[in-house]
Amino acid sequence: MVSKRFIAKRLLLLVPVLFGVATVVFAILHLAPGDPARVILGQRAPTQQVVQLRRELGLNDPIWVQYGRFLADTAQLDFGQSYQIAKGSPVWNVLADRLPVTIELAIYGQITAILLGIPLGVLSAVKQDSLTDHVTRIGALTGISVPIFWSGPLVLLVFATFLGWLPTSGRIGSTFFLEDHWVLFGTQLPLTGMVSIDTFILDTGAFVQSILYGEGLGAFASLTEYYASFISAVQHLFLPVLTLGIYSMALLSRMMRSSMLEVIRQDYIRTARAKGQGERITILKHGLRNALIPVITVIGIQFGTLLGGAVLTETVFGIGGIGQLLVAAIGATDYPLVQGTVLVFALLFTLVNLGVDVTYSYLDPRIQQ
Amino acid sequence: MATETSTTTDSRGIVERLRASPFLSELLSNRLAIIGLSLILGMVLLGVYARLFIDLGAISQSQLAAHPNKAPPGWLGSAALDQFLFGTDAAARDIFKRVLYGAWLALKFGVLVVGASTVLGISLGIIAAYYGDVVDNVVMRTMDVFLAFPSLLLALALVAIFGAGLSKVVIALTLVYTPRFARVVRGAALKVLEDEYIDATVALGARDPRVLVRHVLPNCLAPITVQSTLNFGLAIIDLAALSFLGFGAQAGTPSWGLMLKNGVSNGLLTGDWWLSFFPGLFLAITVLGFNLLGDGMRDALDPRMRETVE
Repeated sequence: MVSKRFIAKRLLLLVPVLFGVATVVFAILHLAPGDPARVILGQRAPTQQVVQLRRELGLNDPIWVQYGRFLADTAQLDFGQSYQIAKGSPVWNVLADRLPVTIELAIYGQITAILLGIPLGVLSAVKQDSLTDHVTRIGALTGISVPIFWSGPLVLLVFATFLGWLPTSGRIGSTFFLEDHWVLFGTQLPLTGMVSIDTFILDTGAFVQSILYGEGLGAFASLTEYYASFISAVQHLFLPVLTLGIYSMALLSRMMRSSMLEVIRQDYIRTARAKGQGERITILKHGLRNALIPVITVIGIQFGTLLGGAVLTETVFGIGGIGQLLVAAIGATDYPLVQGTVLVFALLFTLVNLGVDVTYSYLDPRIQQ
Repeated sequence: MATETSTTTDSRGIVERLRASPFLSELLSNRLAIIGLSLILGMVLLGVYARLFIDLGAISQSQLAAHPNKAPPGWLGSAALDQFLFGTDAAARDIFKRVLYGAWLALKFGVLVVGASTVLGISLGIIAAYYGDVVDNVVMRTMDVFLAFPSLLLALALVAIFGAGLSKVVIALTLVYTPRFARVVRGAALKVLEDEYIDATVALGARDPRVLVRHVLPNCLAPITVQSTLNFGLAIIDLAALSFLGFGAQAGTPSWGLMLKNGVSNGLLTGDWWLSFFPGLFLAITVLGFNLLGDGMRDALDPRMRETVE
């Protein structure tokens, strides 16, 4: 069991960190060169206007007043208005549009990494010093040495440009329109913003409707036509997810291997074997469960690398998530947008690590002491 | 712990001392670590060679005829282009020369980032460990804030403050990497401070700086070296990543990151793979070298550290 006290303590520890994060983010606007009012109005705007805008934005107030206001606004997820990229619209709206894109990429990337990395790490440890082990280890070491902005272009060149099996960029084929809501029995329902899930919902809706009111069971014959937009979305996601996932997979399999090696030398493994327990069950039930515990912490830490990787992946594959948004915002000196994006990234990372810590304490209650 | 201390008035020869060190003998018997070291040394040689002898001067109009743009590597068939081992880029520049020069840039800026953050991290970590209490808390909680950002994103946020350019990227990455060193050094220093010889030194009347520099620091060197080596690879990737995103090297600089950026924008859809392939290959080989060596060092230092040093 996870005690409420542990979670409360862990949350309390978050407060100074979040405070510090907000301070760093506040500093972005105030340490960056240039007058924000000038940036908004352009270099040729009359001084009169600039002075007035400075007053409106509260840039003439003492720095601590501005800091207090920033903290209060940030606590309400109000990051101000975008200067350039989406001029005039609230930063939060822009972020809310783009965030699901990055989260989708990160989740699939993480799942790929876990599904491939953990079995490989276990295999490598169980067959220590065999050929399989050497190949896996060297493969993993190579995997963490290959930057995403090289592996990304390479898989694109091979699978999209040369073989033509998969699309080169974007989130869905150009013949499809990304809806932002769906209709069920006449009611409008919001969608997630994650293209694979949304298209699946919409396609399934159309398909079921056709079975009930149209073609009947004959609709199964043209299943791929009904799921065309979903298939297109998956095809577009495949290479980015693969690129992002492989790097994390390599990291995870290394951790899993060393953790597993430590565990299978423990007495309780010897005991399990001595009592005649099958090797499979010994490894999976007694070994894996214990070896996973430290790896879960690593998954949290490595999630930061994954988010950084998402920025690069989005850039290579032309996917408009918050990573690409951040890069564009920095290029355009759109500081409120930079602040909002950086804060959201830091929050995501911190929350995932909080979740990881809680999971960890659930799996290994000793940590709560 | 197998650390080399230079503080003793040891009269043994350097070779004998190296041989007596279990750390080095262990490291030198690790084949993968030796491969890593060779890769790094090879890259250093190439980089230095490029810095000294390769002329990246602009291509004159008369040369342009013999310098077609986006020419594939010479060995792929067209005999006329034999001179271009790695082909040419969209601006008709010889990719081979630029990739070699990129090694010089990557290593130079990597040394700057890792060197600066190691020095900063050592200072902060040792001070935090030695003075403890409030100092420790202030220093380490500040480090925690920096560690609360995913590293590439913190670097991007700092670039938003400092502006783009290789020298500014070096400063940004130094700030990003310092907390990692501070953490490792603090941990190591706390362990060293428990040893009796520290008490003895203090009892003999040594002042703080002397204790820290002559006694604590040398005994923390092993984990610091491992950390530096492993982070060197990451630093080179991050440097290239920032150039790739358009915030590092200025247009025209033969940095691997920038060459990859050009490769993506000019060669992906047309299938001109050599624009991206060679710069990335050299980058990956360099990073692999540091990872192999770092892994070997970590295992040699203490096999039990595998999980604690990232």
